[in-house]
Amino acid sequence: MSEKQPDRNNKIPFEEDNYTHNIRKNEERRLDRRTFMKTIVGAAGVFAVSTLPWGALAMRELANGGEKSYAKAAIPGSAGLRVGEAVEFAYPSEHDTALLIRLGENEYKAYQNACTHLRCPVVWDGGRTELVCPCHHGFFDPANGAPTAGPPRRPLPEIALSVEADGVYAIGVKRYEA
Amino acid sequence: MKRSWRGVLLMCLVLFLNIVFTQKAIHQYYYEHYVATIVYAALNVILFPIAVWLYRVERKVR
Ligand code: FES
Repeated sequence: MSEKQPDRNNKIPFEEDNYTHNIRKNEERRLDRRTFMKTIVGAAGVFAVSTLPWGALAMRELANGGEKSYAKAAIPGSAGLRVGEAVEFAYPSEHDTALLIRLGENEYKAYQNACTHLRCPVVWDGGRTELVCPCHHGFFDPANGAPTAGPPRRPLPEIALSVEADGVYAIGVKRYEA
Repeated sequence: MKRSWRGVLLMCLVLFLNIVFTQKAIHQYYYEHYVATIVYAALNVILFPIAVWLYRVERKVR
């Protein structure tokens, strides 16, 4: 500290015991609060825009008039399926994969196997007799497709079946009753 | 109170409702409740001007 520099403000080194002189606490806080509100306004915009496509899809479905029709399709590999086994197939379109499970002698169940959490493919765990989603450990009951554990909240969409002499046929996707 | 937290709390509420409505819209879509989906999507859209308005009102409050 020399006598030749009487005015030391804004000089380095600044004579003080800490280095926080450039933080104006109240102003910083006001900025924080305001920035926070701005961020939420931005987020509200993003949420609004991101739900628009769902609204548009819903309107398209409504315009098409509720009931969908599904083509009847044979499930390949269903004829030789043993009790406790499952086979994967595609229904209603080739891009929607599904799982046919033979639960009993005459008991078949089929579900679309896109997990209702984030759409990972659900697999059949014969050993535990449960449907398992490997992504976040979601579990589904094979008897009705309802989620039993993990993040999924909706049941897997069930596929209506018709069991015939030469195998099992998919005849439609059941509506949710809820 | 030295400083008003009302704006922050209201904004948190807006964000919370945004999350709820988005979640609802998507689930109702998969449940094939299309009218409900449109309602939730519309609510989400309406929240945006509300957020802008809240911001305008609250930004000056210290
Ligand atoms: S995608 Fe299936 S549990 Fe997350």
